[in-house]
Amino acid sequence: MSDPVQTKPGSLVLLGINHNTAPIEVRERLAIPAGRLADATRTLVHQPGIREGLILSTCNRVELLTLQDDAESIRSQSKADLLRFLHEYFAVPTLDIQPHIYEFREREAVRHLFRVASSLDSMVVGEPQILGQVKESYTIAREVGAVSTHLESLLQRTFTVAKKVRSETQIGSSSVSIASVAVDLARKIFGSLQGKTVLLVGAGKMSELAARHLIQQGASSILVANRTTSRAEKLAAEFSSSNVYTEAISFDSLYEQADRADIVITSTGAPQKIFGRSHGQHFLHRRRNRPMFFIDIAVPRDVDPRMNEVEGCFVYDIDDLQQVASANLADRGREAQAAETIVSREVDKYQQRLQSRDAVPAIKALQQQAEQLRQAELARSQSKLAGLSPEQREAVDALTRALTAKLLHPQLTALRESTRTKDSD
Amino acid sequence: MSLLWLRVAVFLYGAAALAVLPAALYERPRWRHIAIPATVSAVFFHFVSLAEMLNAAHHSLPVDTHETQTLLGLLFALAFLLVYWRYRTVSLGIVILPLCFLLGLVPAFHPGQEATTFPLLHTGWIFLHVVLLLAAYAALLLSLLASLMYLIQERRLKQKSPTLPWLPPLETTDQIALKSLLFGLPCMTAGLLIGSLIAQATVGASYFRDPKILLAFAMWLAYVAMIYIRRHSGLRGRRAVYLSSFVFLVVLTVWAANQFSAVHRFTAP
Repeated sequence: MSDPVQTKPGSLVLLGINHNTAPIEVRERLAIPAGRLADATRTLVHQPGIREGLILSTCNRVELLTLQDDAESIRSQSKADLLRFLHEYFAVPTLDIQPHIYEFREREAVRHLFRVASSLDSMVVGEPQILGQVKESYTIAREVGAVSTHLESLLQRTFTVAKKVRSETQIGSSSVSIASVAVDLARKIFGSLQGKTVLLVGAGKMSELAARHLIQQGASSILVANRTTSRAEKLAAEFSSSNVYTEAISFDSLYEQADRADIVITSTGAPQKIFGRSHGQHFLHRRRNRPMFFIDIAVPRDVDPRMNEVEGCFVYDIDDLQQVASANLADRGREAQAAETIVSREVDKYQQRLQSRDAVPAIKALQQQAEQLRQAELARSQSKLAGLSPEQREAVDALTRALTAKLLHPQLTALRESTRTKDSD
Repeated sequence: MSLLWLRVAVFLYGAAALAVLPAALYERPRWRHIAIPATVSAVFFHFVSLAEMLNAAHHSLPVDTHETQTLLGLLFALAFLLVYWRYRTVSLGIVILPLCFLLGLVPAFHPGQEATTFPLLHTGWIFLHVVLLLAAYAALLLSLLASLMYLIQERRLKQKSPTLPWLPPLETTDQIALKSLLFGLPCMTAGLLIGSLIAQATVGASYFRDPKILLAFAMWLAYVAMIYIRRHSGLRGRRAVYLSSFVFLVVLTVWAANQFSAVHRFTAP
């Protein structure tokens, strides 16, 4: 691997489409399955002028991050080259892609990458998957040798920034989907869900999803009640695993069995309420006041809202859950502002580091030249210095060193400054 | 020297009390890394100070209000650390750590001057009697705080208002409340038993006719009744807070009765 200091900087170009710029019809044509990502990345870095590259492909975005040769002629061609790559690799006409493409260069490309990895550019701001997806793309690009010095350091910085955003803001702390809100509320009541029992009354996609979330969090028993027993048994079998006990219970015994459950998810199509206030009192009495959480996803509702008045019963209907999700989403919006500030600060820091790194080869060359001159002058005066004692020689050596350093200082400062100014221009 | 260590401990309690606010209220883990080590260090210095204080006074138990206060503060801090170690929550520190700070503040800067002539001060049994009863009081206050936290969180959940992230889940607060009481009961029972045996041997049966002593036994009965009700009916929320508050009030009355009792006082009259 070459020394990063000695490598010519190159030009950072990011080209992509995402959920904001392209409809799903376009995105799906450019989406790269995980199995083909390595091949696509390899093909990308074999394009003329591209030194390093990475492809990020998720359901909401396809982005090509490249480090290209610095020559002006290549620079102006880079977008066309990347478009051609997309056209050739996906067999999608350039004209179909071009209106949806965005392009970022240098500083703006860094900012965009930081924002993407920090989930500020996601459809649901703060969602945690994107960082894992960026890391996956990086791993693949590294495996095929498409990422080395410059992108390596940029991506490492990206991961640090994304972690910083997560730890210093609350951007990902609150749930924004109905199912995860239900799980969050259950955790507020029961703490750990290890060993908890969930009763599904009726069958619906959303209630199934909520139950799966609860199982993921440690719920160990799933009871299923349905008017059609075979449907209940089928659903119970779907949840069954080595860690999860499942049981289909008959709808007739619902009121005798419901108090076994800590969490009840209802989603029947019944026109009238299934659980009333008195049921809640009865269940709580039998449970010695251990709390019960009712998640009522049905419309019309299955649980009488007055059950919430019973001490120990917590009843949330679909509107309540939606309201919590919306409030959490608004919270994320506020946290996103704090996250943007962190990203801006980190972009500045990264650019500064990059700029000082760019000046290093010139600084080193200047210092070497000065040292050679100093050594040559000392050698020329060797005969005149012959009479000096070792201490006096040492003093002369130190004096010349100090003089050289002092003479070089303004030049070196100017060099650093000019590199910084040039880059910011 | 003991005062110096106590002042260091008080300073550390103050720092921990401040650090626990962002740690709990704003979920800033960095502040937790200040609050917990500060409390651990405070407990260490507090213990050293207390040991030196009692050693210098040539008695083995706290005899004046200030010494008792400082021992109670130490027990509160230990209870907080125990809860943190078991449940990883610092929320109780919002109340307990400032309490430790305040309980240590007065003894640290205005130490008690009372002299005592009480003959039993040097026995280990009396020391146990005092420490066990103070531990029971600390456990009761902890339980009351946990019950209050339960009540607040329960109200938020019932009203569908955004829950307070710094409050532990209901089941956790309920466990803290109940386990504190279960820890306090043997402490109180043993404390009262030891006190009674000592009193029987030294003062005789007349000791048990003192209203303060009778009140202490009433407190024990209330404590037992509270645990029985909580365990057997699964009492939680509002009614649990009422019950804990009532017993806490009885405890305060018993504590206050030390000032008026003829046979049971901190210092000689």
